[in-house]
Amino acid sequence: MSSASFNYIRAAELTDALARGERAGAAYLAGGTDLLPLWKASLTAPQEVIDISHLPLATITRSGDALTIGATARLSDIAAHPEVKAHYPLVCDGILASASGQVRNVATMGGNLLQRTRCPYFRDAGLACNKRDPGSGCGTRHGENRHAVLFGGSPSCVATHPSDLAVALAALDAKIVVSSANGERELALSELYPLPGETTAPDSSLRPGEMITAIRMLNAARFANHATYLKIRDRASFEFAVVSVAAALRIEDGAIAEARLAAGGVAPLPWRLEKSEAALIGRAPTEEAFAEAGALAIGGARPLEGNAFKIPLLRNAVIRALQTAGGQS
Amino acid sequence: MKNRTIARYEGTLKVTGQARYEGEMMPEGLLHAALVESPIACGELQSLDTSRAATLPGFATLVTHEDTASLKPSAATALIREKAIHFHGQPVALVAATTLSEAREAAKATQASIAARTALTQMGQALDQAYEPAMVGRFPASTRRGDSAKALSEAGLVVWRRYTTAVNNHHPMEPHAVVCWWEGKKAVVHTCTQAIFGTRAMIAHAFEMPPADIRVLSRYLGGGFGCKGQLWWPWMFWAMLASRKTNRPVRLELTRAQMFTLVGRRQETAQDLALGFVDGRLTAIEHDVIAQTSTHAEFSDSTAVYTRFLYACPNVTTRHSLVRTNEPQPVPMRAPGTAPGTFALESAMDEAAELLGIDPLELRLNNFADQDQENSRPWSSNSLRECYRVGAERFGWAERRARSAAKVGRWKIGFGMATTLYPAIRQACRARVALRVDGSLLVQCGTQDMGSGTYTALGQIAADALGLSMDKITVELGDTGLPDGPFSGGSQVTASIFPAVEAATSKLRAALASIATADTTLPLGGKPPEDLEFADGMIRSRSGNASERLTGVLARAATDGLEAEGESPATDHQKLAASGMGYGAIFVEIGVDPELGEIRVRRVCGAFAAGHILNPLLAKSQYIGGLIGGIGMALHEQAVTDAATGSILGKSFADYLIPVHADMPAFDIAMIDEDDPHLPGGVKGIGMLGTAGIQAAIANAVYDAIGKRIRKLPIRIEDCL
Repeated sequence: MSSASFNYIRAAELTDALARGERAGAAYLAGGTDLLPLWKASLTAPQEVIDISHLPLATITRSGDALTIGATARLSDIAAHPEVKAHYPLVCDGILASASGQVRNVATMGGNLLQRTRCPYFRDAGLACNKRDPGSGCGTRHGENRHAVLFGGSPSCVATHPSDLAVALAALDAKIVVSSANGERELALSELYPLPGETTAPDSSLRPGEMITAIRMLNAARFANHATYLKIRDRASFEFAVVSVAAALRIEDGAIAEARLAAGGVAPLPWRLEKSEAALIGRAPTEEAFAEAGALAIGGARPLEGNAFKIPLLRNAVIRALQTAGGQS
Repeated sequence: MKNRTIARYEGTLKVTGQARYEGEMMPEGLLHAALVESPIACGELQSLDTSRAATLPGFATLVTHEDTASLKPSAATALIREKAIHFHGQPVALVAATTLSEAREAAKATQASIAARTALTQMGQALDQAYEPAMVGRFPASTRRGDSAKALSEAGLVVWRRYTTAVNNHHPMEPHAVVCWWEGKKAVVHTCTQAIFGTRAMIAHAFEMPPADIRVLSRYLGGGFGCKGQLWWPWMFWAMLASRKTNRPVRLELTRAQMFTLVGRRQETAQDLALGFVDGRLTAIEHDVIAQTSTHAEFSDSTAVYTRFLYACPNVTTRHSLVRTNEPQPVPMRAPGTAPGTFALESAMDEAAELLGIDPLELRLNNFADQDQENSRPWSSNSLRECYRVGAERFGWAERRARSAAKVGRWKIGFGMATTLYPAIRQACRARVALRVDGSLLVQCGTQDMGSGTYTALGQIAADALGLSMDKITVELGDTGLPDGPFSGGSQVTASIFPAVEAATSKLRAALASIATADTTLPLGGKPPEDLEFADGMIRSRSGNASERLTGVLARAATDGLEAEGESPATDHQKLAASGMGYGAIFVEIGVDPELGEIRVRRVCGAFAAGHILNPLLAKSQYIGGLIGGIGMALHEQAVTDAATGSILGKSFADYLIPVHADMPAFDIAMIDEDDPHLPGGVKGIGMLGTAGIQAAIANAVYDAIGKRIRKLPIRIEDCL
């Protein structure tokens, strides 16, 4: 449409893609639901776009307690997959809360985790944004910041991560398999997203040329009976979260044996609510326990001028998500 | 006039992609254009560096304010003749190139040097600089009837509140586009406009050429909502200048982002409203509106105008004032004035009902205005009370006390209602009809179809007048080669075309009757014309068992077919015997999740009285579309300006929220047919009615659900927590 042209390469195989991906100016293309709009808006200008959408990376494999989902699997395929639905409903909930049916039919699992922030200052090339243009400043901090973070911000950046799926996966302690020409490494999902520093705000910890090739969950089916993804937004569909909460509980003999809580829309990455989780262990799934977890969730929140409402909203969302997850049989 | 459900005349063409929108014209040798935008909200253009752009592949020409000096000064050319920068994103040049991407690259490579001045980017920064405009549309900006200050001081109850509404953008699906070229001294302009003749007149003025040398076409529109009007003209002029400079056709289409800055907006308002009551009757109203306009042009919605006469009240004072900011210029947007104005008035009535301890519907009935007090005239017709009755019954308003604040799942239920209204006015219109010997009819009128059904309405009126089936009808509109028709705005088109088409077809009926009755040896021979009726392709005698096919009559004495023109005048506001208004009562049920702040509209019942309804299918679609727009204004839509830069934030549909299908409630539409002897054919406009009233109905329902009175739009999560 409007932007600089690029070389389009349809990678023949993974090794070919990884070799090309190391070059400066290279970008991987899977579903393209974020990369192409960014390119059209002149917010990114790759010189070489390496299409990996057809590579055989869309498989689901189960090995013992581990479930591995290939990175180019379509969101809609994973949400409809019988095994994922049965044992990892939180993943399905997170996906189905995302975007629209049309977008989910195209977007991929790996790409979803690497989508860039919806901060309007990032998405407009004419405005100051350290994430897009390091050193240009942050327009959000003293501008319109309803959407901004409560946790993990810095003077350089207060943008949230927009993925719903990432919040669900964070609650399930998912691992990310990352490949490069030098081989494969595995990292925790939380390690994928660095916090913004004083002056810069990188999106991910991926090194040049690295590609997410799979998402792995270990023994995460233990939460299948007590998990939910709650997303709060200004309209009923096709919108990013104002606040979201993924809650997963393992209840044993009437008491909470394990609890996982992650929040979206409040931090540069899925924000694990560890104090809330700890407070639930050994407790019966009661209103009182949930209220305490909700209160603990908002400790340390640092609102800006326009987003203080997210503090009570997050507290209430944690309580509601726990009520829903705890109430399931 | 018949009331008949007919599917959309052009429906198949549209859904099969055969309808060619004007921006889809791709003539040979076409150049594509892009705009160079100011990154600064206030200042003066010093220079443009085009040295790099001019070397880029495909570059053809550049048009700036210097080229525009050849155009005649007017309001429509001011912005492009001068160097002043009034808002962020204001175009400073147009670049034309062989392809669209080349044009956009060249636009990006064009460097504007601008001397910046301090911009005023928020209305709230300068409320003390508000000034009173001369007029708000066709109404005085300020009015005073009786003594509202005295009446307020003596009132038993005073409700005095501030209500605010946000900036909305129109966002038709089809962005503004022009494809234009010159044929010698003549210009051909394909552009999506709501006013082909207005556009032609402005081109004629700016380029100082005879209107007859300009052809403007707008045959299909992918929506307009008020923004396909004057603010588009400057950029269209630039495309025409580029075409003249290059002697090639030029195409300019706005981007979605530019739709936030270049073609208008619903202005932001802050409204102070005071209602005074004595024994449940309104004794005083004061309605003060402050609204935003730009630094280069002036516009005020008629926000408080409807407060002057909706209710019976002896003491009414209204004022409109404007604050100039370095933001985009506002224009009318669907339900101009009534949408923000009824939000304030109908919210305040609900607040008053609560304080008076009476049902909000009853309060409205008690304060019904049985005449237009502002203009001391009777209503041409007024079925508002019937709207209240029918709407309340269908909605189940009587169950409100029992059901509201109840919980359904996570939702607390709230009921709310409000009134909507819009004036019934007409524009001058001409129409031509041509009956061919095969019994087919061509109907021509130089108006536009915004997607609301004007093709169908034109065809249907003519078909009914001559007793033809729709498959015999061809409709042509959207071309200045046709007889002058009305612009598409102000809910006026159907009311304006009806009498003109009636006038034209009645001439055909007279001609046909004269042929049919001339020969006394034939079945209809000697019958008086008033005895004849036209139906099913026949001319029939009402009194006797005699008829003749229309085609037979034509074949006998009109083998070249018959043609006629009709015309009808605009509403003469000076000579009105009665005030014409359409009305509606909107009832909504909402759910609020009080812990999470989410609001969902669960169902809406709108009962509308707007004269005779020509086509209930089209009317229902108009009402529902209008209500959806109103839901957007109530809960979703808000254009936000970055205070530091003056840039509009989030210029995309991902950020500027409009309702999606999942937000759609169940709609129940009731249409109350009215006889209105004052209006030709009894036709009132309906396009605006759905888009007002519902905002207040939703706010009132939120209060009903959770006890929180929200006096701002849009109502969002944080307001309900």
